[in-house]
Amino acid sequence: MCGVGVIGCGGMGRGHAGRFASLPDVRVVACADVREEAARQAAAEHGAQAYGDGRQLLDDPRVDIAVICTSTPSHAEFIEEAARRGKHIFCEKPMARTLADARRAIDAAKQAGVCLMVGHVLRFFPEYALAKRLLDEGAIGRPAVARTTRASAHPRTVGDWFADPEVSGGVLVDMAIHDIDFLLWCFGPAQRVYCKALTYRGPEMTDYGLATVRFKSRVIAHIEGSWAHTPGTFFTKLEIAGDQGLLEYDSAAASPLQVWRKAKGEGAPGVMVPESPLAESPYLVEIREFMDCVRTGRQPSVTLQDAYDALELALAAVESSRRGEVVTLPLT
Amino acid sequence: MVRIGILSFAHMHAGSYARCVKGLPNAELVGIADSAKARGERMAQRFETRYMGRDELLERVDAVIVTAENARHARWAIPAAKAGRHVLCEKPIAADVADAKRMIKACEKAGVQLGIAFPCRYMPPMRRLKALCDGGELGRFLAAKGTNRGRMPGGWFTKPKLSGGGAVLDHTVHVLDLMRWMLKAEVVQVYAEVDRLLHDIESDDCGTLTMTFDNGVFATLDPSWSRPQSYPTWGDVTLQIVGTDGVAASDGAGQKLDLYDDRRGRGDWRYWGFNPDEGLVADFVDAVESGRPFDITGTDGLRALEVAVAAYRSAEQGRPVNVEELGGRD
Repeated sequence: MCGVGVIGCGGMGRGHAGRFASLPDVRVVACADVREEAARQAAAEHGAQAYGDGRQLLDDPRVDIAVICTSTPSHAEFIEEAARRGKHIFCEKPMARTLADARRAIDAAKQAGVCLMVGHVLRFFPEYALAKRLLDEGAIGRPAVARTTRASAHPRTVGDWFADPEVSGGVLVDMAIHDIDFLLWCFGPAQRVYCKALTYRGPEMTDYGLATVRFKSRVIAHIEGSWAHTPGTFFTKLEIAGDQGLLEYDSAAASPLQVWRKAKGEGAPGVMVPESPLAESPYLVEIREFMDCVRTGRQPSVTLQDAYDALELALAAVESSRRGEVVTLPLT
Repeated sequence: MVRIGILSFAHMHAGSYARCVKGLPNAELVGIADSAKARGERMAQRFETRYMGRDELLERVDAVIVTAENARHARWAIPAAKAGRHVLCEKPIAADVADAKRMIKACEKAGVQLGIAFPCRYMPPMRRLKALCDGGELGRFLAAKGTNRGRMPGGWFTKPKLSGGGAVLDHTVHVLDLMRWMLKAEVVQVYAEVDRLLHDIESDDCGTLTMTFDNGVFATLDPSWSRPQSYPTWGDVTLQIVGTDGVAASDGAGQKLDLYDDRRGRGDWRYWGFNPDEGLVADFVDAVESGRPFDITGTDGLRALEVAVAAYRSAEQGRPVNVEELGGRD
């Protein structure tokens, strides 16, 4: 029986707790959050121990696996603390807030010989996995120009930490990093990036970025990350053009279930909710892979180098937008 | 009745313009002149008009439509101006900035109009987006994202001596013109990735531009010839604008239905929207007839060309390029 401790009991933390709990021979034994009420509620769902501090949770001998879902700047220190105590670690993306932090976290996990997997879940989404497979099969020939979009309204969460770009890194580091990881997976290392971006500074501004990446393989990619859209919005797009063909995906076009609910009562508008139901949650797929790596000792398909590279390219894009210059990689 | 002559059928759009002229009650397609005689005669037959020498045609018209290869626009437009005829010139205005400036000067001196064929301004979704922008509904402009992808056109388009450049030249100008029109701003700086990755041709065929406008707006633009032959349509013209009060995304050619035809063996998108060429030609004819200035000027053409030229320079030098480095905004 594997004991799981979840540090950070916001949306992702509670979701992961439920997924881990659904696996055979796995129990959620501890939940930690600086907000004691959040920790208590999450713990109550699983008959787990509530903690007000992640370090206390890591000291709990029943915890074999640490699941880190706190705000980004604390990821690296929790990875180190968990590794030091011999816990295997599943950490939400991005792996860290800075490259130095990411390097320390990777070293700590390697030194301790524990499994560390970062939640770059997009690779596990069936449409993205299929696109990658088609690419590898040569369906579009040699890839040349790629475009991704990931768009939502400005996320609202506990303490609005997303809204502080110092904490979250902004839309590029926090959200577009999914597409950045996917593109690196498809096309190999990046050579350089040129980016323009807006940074959230209160309700009259927003987070929005357009990054152009040139890969060493000569592919040109255009990455759009938007927190400029309106509440209720979430959509993603992918297009890859090659010398023999083209593939494109628009999540807005893939709504195979649409439900129009009339509102009860006079005058209140109803709402249409589109769904794209999946047989299996990609989050569950990645967690199952993590557990298999824990048990067998094999490397996760999303490697620590992958997680580092995605963070590096995202940070390079932010730096480019700040300096108004092309930034070449690697950064250090 | 506005009498129109078409000068050169090198550009495939000439056929569309011919049809538009013939469809107007206040215009007449008087004739066609072409340095490629066989082609000119064939087109004259197809559009039920006369093939004639350039000077003879210039005597008989009020205005001309120039649809030669980019590098040959000036050698048709300038004599037309000198003959006192108004000119509607296919985009890009020319293959280089010097030619563009010569054309603008010649038309100014002759007191005739120089209009540039940017039909995308007449696409209903783009006119609606323009109205939203003018009405302040998006608030202050922050960023823009445009695309004008297409199929590789082949022929002289891929030969820089005749075209002045490949995809980046061919497809930057439409969307750039839309951006200038909507944002009411000029591009200050351009960074571009440009390459030939898709086709076995002489010129570039793909890239992505990033531009900064003088009102602080940044924008990207994808002009690639990246639609494969099997794609259900020729390409697209899209523009998204992000403002402080909202986001608007316009798909200029997006009004289509899907046709599946076994005889063709594949699916096709059939456009049912308003033909923007009709809007363009009708507007130009109306301007000539009434004497009012046509909205899309030689300077609009020059500004769009400058951005494409700056993009090429940026890609060569691997750095953002200021448009003023190209030399002399007069």
